[in-house]
Order: sequence, then structure tokens, then C-alpha cells
Amino acid sequence: MAARGHVQDPNDRRLRPIYDYLDNGNNKMAIQQADKLLKKHKDLHCAKVLKAIGLQRTGKQDEAFTLAQEVAILEPTDDNSLQALTILYREMHRPELVTKLYEAAVRKVPTSEEYHSHLFMAYARVGEYKKMQQAGMALYKIVPKNPYYFWSVMSLVMQAISAQDEKLSQTMFLPLAERMVEKMVKEEKIEAEAEVQLYFMILERLGKYVEALEVVQGPLGEKLTSELQSRENKCMMLYRRLERWAECNALSCKLEIVPFDPDDWQFYILYFDSLFHLIDQSWAPPQEGAHSAEGEVHASTAQAISFMKDRIATEEAKESKHLRGPYLARLELIRRLRVRSCPEAQQLGEPLELMFQFFVKFGDKPCCITDLKIFLDLLTPDQHVQFINRLMEAVPLCAPGEDGVALPGDTRALQRHLCVTQLSRSLGQQHALNTEGKLGLIKELKAHYQHGLQFGKSCLKTELQFSDMYCLMAAHVYVDLWLETGDQNMLWQCLGLLEEGLSHSSSNAQFKLLLLLLYCRLGAFEPVVDLYSSLDAKHVQHDTIGYLLTRYAESLGQFAAASQSCNFSLRFFHSNQKDTSEYIIQAYKYGAFEKIPEFIAFRNRLNHSLHFAQVRTERMLLDLFLEADISSPLEESVKSMSLCLEEDDIPWDSLRDNRDLTVLVSWDPKDRQLNEEHKQRSLEEDTLWLRLRSLTLRLIGCVSALTHPPASRNSEKTTENGVTAKPSSLQSLLSQLENTLNQATQLTEKQPQYPFVGPVASRLAQALSSGCCQCQLSSLQLPLHLQELETTGLDESTELQTQISNLFKSLAVQLQDMLEKCKGDLLEVKDGQSKPQPFLLENLVYFVESVCIVLWVSNYCGSVLRPLKSTSTVTPPVLSAYQEFSSSLQSLLNQALEHIKSQELSLTALELGALSLEGQTQSEAEETFTKTAMDKVHSSYLRSLQEIGELLKKRADTLKSLKI
Amino acid sequence: MTTLRAFTCDDLFKFNNINLDPLTETYGIPFYLQYLAHWPEYFIVAEAPGGELMGYIMGKAEGSVAREEWHGHVTALSVAPEFRRLGLAAKLMEMLEEISERKGGFFVDLFVRVSNQVAVNMYKQLGYSVYRTVIEYYSANNGEPDEDAYDMRKALSRDTEKKSIIPLPHPVRPEDIE
Repeated sequence: MAARGHVQDPNDRRLRPIYDYLDNGNNKMAIQQADKLLKKHKDLHCAKVLKAIGLQRTGKQDEAFTLAQEVAILEPTDDNSLQALTILYREMHRPELVTKLYEAAVRKVPTSEEYHSHLFMAYARVGEYKKMQQAGMALYKIVPKNPYYFWSVMSLVMQAISAQDEKLSQTMFLPLAERMVEKMVKEEKIEAEAEVQLYFMILERLGKYVEALEVVQGPLGEKLTSELQSRENKCMMLYRRLERWAECNALSCKLEIVPFDPDDWQFYILYFDSLFHLIDQSWAPPQEGAHSAEGEVHASTAQAISFMKDRIATEEAKESKHLRGPYLARLELIRRLRVRSCPEAQQLGEPLELMFQFFVKFGDKPCCITDLKIFLDLLTPDQHVQFINRLMEAVPLCAPGEDGVALPGDTRALQRHLCVTQLSRSLGQQHALNTEGKLGLIKELKAHYQHGLQFGKSCLKTELQFSDMYCLMAAHVYVDLWLETGDQNMLWQCLGLLEEGLSHSSSNAQFKLLLLLLYCRLGAFEPVVDLYSSLDAKHVQHDTIGYLLTRYAESLGQFAAASQSCNFSLRFFHSNQKDTSEYIIQAYKYGAFEKIPEFIAFRNRLNHSLHFAQVRTERMLLDLFLEADISSPLEESVKSMSLCLEEDDIPWDSLRDNRDLTVLVSWDPKDRQLNEEHKQRSLEEDTLWLRLRSLTLRLIGCVSALTHPPASRNSEKTTENGVTAKPSSLQSLLSQLENTLNQATQLTEKQPQYPFVGPVASRLAQALSSGCCQCQLSSLQLPLHLQELETTGLDESTELQTQISNLFKSLAVQLQDMLEKCKGDLLEVKDGQSKPQPFLLENLVYFVESVCIVLWVSNYCGSVLRPLKSTSTVTPPVLSAYQEFSSSLQSLLNQALEHIKSQELSLTALELGALSLEGQTQSEAEETFTKTAMDKVHSSYLRSLQEIGELLKKRADTLKSLKI
Repeated sequence: MTTLRAFTCDDLFKFNNINLDPLTETYGIPFYLQYLAHWPEYFIVAEAPGGELMGYIMGKAEGSVAREEWHGHVTALSVAPEFRRLGLAAKLMEMLEEISERKGGFFVDLFVRVSNQVAVNMYKQLGYSVYRTVIEYYSANNGEPDEDAYDMRKALSRDTEKKSIIPLPHPVRPEDIE
């Protein structure tokens, strides 16, 4: 923890046991020991700080802070106290206090290299770039070491990056940084690679590419050795920026042939890019001398074609280890020539034939599909059948067995056959089949899958089966059929097949992901928990694929699981802030200057994550739904969330969609694949939903602030009473909610559709159709009118009272309508087949959510109306309306509870085993897996109903508090 | 046929196809940032023409020069299932070795589960040999026993006599390794 090396200092010896207790997590003993020590040595400040650390770690933040400030105010200069305070402040998330600490320390000990360096790092932690610049220079003046000087330079660059005003960056910060480096260059004081890197960064940001090129190619550039091809890569980048296509072309040519990696795709791309630029510019080589600084330049189609032919000839001459690059580059060149309508494209060959040849060479590699997929558009539609047939000829299959399916004899043949099948799907041939054709295809794929399992008998459980992809593809075809025909059996069989696949290949993430998605679509969240946890997703994956979990948990009524999945994600996001700061500092220490802006951008990307904002909001709502006015009063629940009603903390304009939307494999044809518009639409949809939820949350906060505890209620009518929510914020939030609802309605009218394995639709559409959004809005409007009534009183408010009474009535009707939409069988059994109706479950959850909100609002209404009752001799209309409303709530909740109970009973009575799966081509073994899947769905529904029922019961118990 | 480039923070959002493999660990953010801050040149990712990440290697340089223990270390190496059997892992290893050569390392080393035969064989083919066995190096979390690791090494040109790879006669405990 602290400087332990100096055994000679008696204070260190005295403090040692406290450090040990703290290190071992024994905070209580640490505090006791510190107290003991402080009795004897009152001035041993460090003991106080250590005690404060103990207090902080046992949850006594305020006490810890007071104690720490006692020491801080003395401006300590001993290592032990300073380091202990630094640790304490960091744990308190108050890094800005560390800067104060070391500012004082360097004032007292102005020559200390150590304290100055700590001060620099303390500034770095809070991003005080200007002060860092000064601290770096101060440090350099005390100890003229290069790194200190360049810390200061980098701080200037950071000022440039963070400046709002781009002009200021370009005319002040960066030129100043440049001059500072130039000074060192002139004095020949440049020592390290990092210093050259930083110089390069500055010139690049200034757009001084010529100067940057001189640096890279000059003597300073010789220091760029850590990274492979560092100088070449930098030159290439600069040639591109400078549009020096001749050099760019010559260098990419060279890099593709000579050096370390003769198969680097990026250089082929650069080669083609530069080639066509040169052609467009009618570039001609100089009369004499070299073509360019980098050597020979290709500036004609003929040269490019001959270059490609040479590259291929080199490959052909090799006995083994053929590179894929040249062959694919040839296809790329054809594509580019065709785009330019160059007839020379034909000289390179016919794409169909070339792709066939590629398949012959590389068809047994699993990546062959990925390679060829991007060139499929070189084929004309009428070539597709011919292409697949041609490839199939090159697949060695045994003679067809009795089921008519010809099977491969080894894994290489299997891989080839699989590749053709994948290509056929990518060309849309599978989609073009009719139902019968698709069922036949599934049968064939399953035969290949089962047959292929024999090759993987010795596979470890961490390995995939060779034929897994057949299983996955058959599942995709089942999904196609399900979506097209609505035949529920297709989905059941698909689930069964994937469950079977998983039993043979327990670590296949693709099986798990697809199963997870399908169970969610079926409204069964219970199996999803295990599937997700077996994916072992951690840390950043909670951001990229966590949405698969958090999107569904709450909406399907699995509240406990929902809480847990939000927590996983939240824990990750919260640790991010502290973690990244630490490594920004390390990057300064190691001179990894180019990483500093990268780390900061990364931190922002996580902080601005859409998913982060979603789980934050949903988690708070969930806590309120589950606990507020059940285990603690609404006010307390809201208070513990430190929810800000006036402004929200979601960075709406810079939300980042970090979801990995391509994590599920897809071989769908291009027109069915995920595209940018889908992503955009999905982000828009999710953002709108988030806005609705966030506004709802804040409005609940307002209601809670309005509901004064009875003790503070004065007999005089005051509107203040220390309430934080002003009527104006209620009003403004309500109109925002209304606007957002309108936008949401418009968006859902467009009915955004996504590829099945693409983004998941938001909850928006279902929420709107359930009626919950409108109902929640109506109920949240009530407080505004009640406030008015509170001011006007009963006598002068006949009209207002009528208005309020009508609102109550309408609310009761809306709730009844919502409940009607929950009725029906979750698992509907018809003609011996079971059809899940998961939307009923979602509607039920929306109903319960709305009930929660209505109850909170009613509670507030009650608190306003209760005192009015005594002032009046006859029962005013608004009071009877309220009473009527509360009794209708009672009957609504009873109805809902009865419905849930009857659903539970009928589900329990349902014998899924008795359901026939007849008419299907499933074997007995397959049927077992399908039944397993059905059981999982069944059990999950029961659990959801149970959780929803329990919550509703607890809510019903709070009804009595509405009495007035 | 690959684009090889420096791994950046943004790649953490795209590496699921590689990291959903059961033998590939997804570490906490600090772990990746530490490598990026300290040894950025040792963290290389391979990208397919379609933009998919194919695999990556993450390593570092460490050890005392005076004791001739300065070396390159492979911390993580993983290739997505669909990009296997292309020699990509070998390529990435070659790059790490080259970087270590330039830094004047004596050898390159790595740890691998003794059960991971596929990897052990691959490393052997690449010229690595078992230097020692580290007992219970990999802690299991699901009640299964902890697993031993092989510490495998390959000498670099600076170690002319290949002293660094002479196998130790006895296995060691994790606390005994530096």
C-alpha cells in the first residue's frame, strides 16, 4: 500500500500493523489500531488517514472525509500521509482533491521530483490539461529529463484535442507543441521513439504531411522500430493524404511482394486505389530517372493485369501453402474494372471460372465462404445455378444412401460440401424454395449433420463438431419456414434441433445465441439465463451482447433475473471510469502518446453507451416497481436513487450504439442482410423507448416529491413545503412525454422490420399496442389537476372537479382495456398443437407496471383529497369519483389475480407430453429434444406468471392506504 | 489474405466471434489497457477483407537483461473458428518473435493448458519446446480441479547457445515463477 521499504523510520514500524489490517480487509482492526496509536502519538497524521480509509471502507464516508480533511488542511509533506490520502480520495471518487494535496506539497517542497510528478499524474487523472502542461515544464526545470518535457508537449496536444474551438487548436496549441519539439530537435536532444511518435502526431494533426514525411524518412524516423513496418505504414498513410498516388502505388506494389507479409489485403486495396487515380490523372513517368521515390509505378490497366498475373504465377509455382490474396485480388480487380466499364476485365478471366478455381484450391478451408461471399455479385443471376452445380462437381461425395443423400467421406469433403451449401444460401437459392422444398432441404442438412458427427468423436468438449454448421443452417431454414408460414411446429422443431446440437457440441456459441434469441421471441426467459451464462460473457461483452439479456428479462416478467442482468452490466460500466483513468496515466509513463486520445475516446464510448443508459434507467424503474410503497415508501426509494428531476444525465445527442449486431452468423443473401438503415432505425427506436422510460421515471420522481409526508403538511395551503419538484417541471416533463409518445406512434406506424438475426425490435410497438403508454401518461397527468384543486379549494372548482372525476373514470376504463388484452391462453392448445402467445405475457407486465404507477399517483391524490374531506359537509363529486376509482382498482386487481391464477392452473394441468408432433419428420430422439424445449418454455411461463402474480398481490395489499 | 494492424480499443467491441470460444478468456478492461499502454506494438489484430476480425495476439517484453531472461511473452493468441487452418496463428507468432528479436530478447515464451493438445502441437511445430510444467497454473471455477500449464519456449538469435530453453527437470509452482 505505502512505502514499506524504509524500515529505519520508527513511524513506519508503528504504522505497519494498520497497513496489514487494511490489506487483509480487516478494517475494524485497522481503525482500532489507528486509535491506539493516535492516543500515544497525536501528531502521527498518517494514522488518521489510515483510520479514515478504514472508515470509508466500512461505509462511514462522512466520518472518513472529516478525518481526512483534518490532515489535508495541514498540507502534509510526508510520503505516508500523501499516499494514504491519495488512496482514500480515489476510493471516494474525489480525484480532484489529490491535485489540491500535491499542489500544497510542491509549494512546500518545491524541488521534489516525486511530488511534482505526482501532481502531474493527479492532473492527468482529472484531465486538467493546461495545468499538466505547466506541471510537466516545472518538473523538467527541476530535473531535465526528456519524458517530463514531452509530457508537457503531450498536454498541449490534449488541449488541442479537447478544445471546443478548432481554430484555437490549429493556430495556438498545436503550433506551440510543434515549436517545443522542434527546439529539442535543433538541440539534438531527441532520445526516444515515443518522442518521434509524438512529433509525428503533432504534424499529422496540423496537416503538415510533407513535414511529417520528412521526419519519418529522415534520421529521426530511424527511431521508429518497435512496430513492424512502422515507417512504411506511416509513409503510405501520408502518401494517401498527400495524394501522391505514384509513391503510394509503387510502395504498395513493393510491400505486396517483398517483405514480411506478402498477403496483406490492405496493400492490394491501396494498389488498386492508387492505380485508378493515376489512370484518371493520365500519369506519365518522368523522362529520366526513377518513376517515383518508392520505385516503379503502375499507371495502366495493362500493367495492373500483368502484375496480377505475375502474382498468380508465383503462387501457382509453389507446391504448398498457397496464399489466397492474389486470387481474391484478381476478383477485386475485375470488380473495379467492371465498375469503370473497362473491357479489359475479360482478360483476367470469367469470374465464375475463377471462383470455381478458388474453390478447388481453398474450398476445404472454413473461411472459403467468407472469402467468396463478397464476390458473389460478380455473377449474373442466371449463372447462379450453373455456379453451384459447377462447385458441386468438385465435391467428392460417396454414392447416395437409401435416403437419397450423398455424403462426404472425410472432413475435407465435408467442408467443401458445406461451403457450397453456404454459397447456395447466400445466393438466395434456399429462400426461393417452397415449403416442401425447404422441408426436403432440412432433411438433407440434418442427414449431413448427423453423418458428420462421426468425424468428431474424439473432439474435446471445448472444440466444435465438424458438422455443426449444417445443424445451424437447418435451424435457419426452420426459422424461414416459421416466419413465412407461421407454423408453430417449425419453431418447436428448430428449438429441438438446436438443443440436440448443443448436446453434441456444448461450447458452440452460435447454437446458444440462436436458442437464446428464439426462447426470447417465445417469451420464455428462464432458459435464457443459463444459456447466456454458459457463453461466459464478461466485461465489455456486457455492453456488446448484454442487450440480448436485458431487452427481454423485465418485459417477460422475470424480475429477479432482470435485476441481476442489469447489475452485471452496471457493475461493468461503473468500473470503467476509474479503470480508464489509471491507464491514461500509464500511457504517459510509457510514452504511448497515441494511445491517450484513444483511451479517452474509449472511455467516452462506454460512458455514452446506449445500453448503459438503458440498464441504468430500467434498473431504477424496476426497483421502484418491485419495492416502492412495498418494502419502503416511494419517497425513500426515489431518494436513494439520487434521481435528478430537473435535468437528466443521458447524453441524448451522443449516445453510442455499442451492440454487436452481427454476433449471430448469417448466410442470408445480401438483400436480406443487416444494413445501415436497419442499424439506424433500431437505434432510433431504442432511443425513443429509452426517452419514454426515462421521462416516466422522472415523472414518478415528481409524484413522489409531491406526496408530502403527513407530518410536514401544514393546515395552510402552501405549495412549497420543501418540495423539490416544481409544478413547472411536472408540466414540462408531461409535455415531453406526450411529444415522445407521438413520435413513437409515428415510428411504429412505419413498422420497422429487421433481419431475424439482426437487432431485436424494441419494446415500443408492444407497449403502445398494450395501451400502457397512454394509460401511464393519463395517470401522470392527474397530479397537475390535483395541485390546482389544492390551490383553488373545493368551493370554486366545480368544473375542475368534473374534469378530475372524468380522468379517474377514463383511467379505470383504460386499465380494464389493458387487462382485457392480457386475457387468453399463454399456451394455446388447438388441434393437439400448442401455440405460445407470448405477447399476452408482455401485456400483463405492462398492466402491472401501469398499476404500480396508478397506485402511486392515487396515493398522492388521496393525500390531497383527505384533508379536503373534513372541510366539507356534503361529499363533493371529486371525492366520490376518487372513492369509486379506488374500488374499481380493487376489482381490477382481483380480476387480474384471478386471471393469473387460472393461467397457472391451466398451464400446470397441460400435459405437453400428450401433444402430438405428428405430421412431422422427426425421429424419436429429435422428438425428445423438442419436448425438452417445450418443457423449458412451459416452465418459464409458469415462473413468469408466478413472479408477476406475487408483485400484483403485494400491490393489491397497498390498496387500503388509498382510503380517505 | 488479411490485414494485419495494431489492435485498438474499438476492436474490443467487435471481437466476440473470437472471444466466444471457450478457451479464449475475455479479460477486464484494465488488462487490455495495460497492454495497449505499455506494449502497443505487441498487440496485433488480423482483419478479413469483409471487416470481420479473424484473430489477435497480445504479448509483452519482460525479464532481466543481466540474467539473460529478457524475453517476449505471448499472453493471448486466438483465432476465430472460421479463420482457422490458414496459418494465421503462426503468422501472428512470427510477428511477435520478430518484435522480440528487435528488442534484443533471448527467447519467447508462453503458457498453455496441458490439455490443449491442439495448441501444444501447433507451438511444437513452430519450434517451441516445453521448458517446464507449472502445477495448477489455471484455476478452475466450477469445482473441477485446477489445471497444469506448460511453459513453452523458443530461443531467439541472441541466445546463441540456446541456453534459455534447456528443460527444467522438475515442475514448479505458480508462486515460483516470475
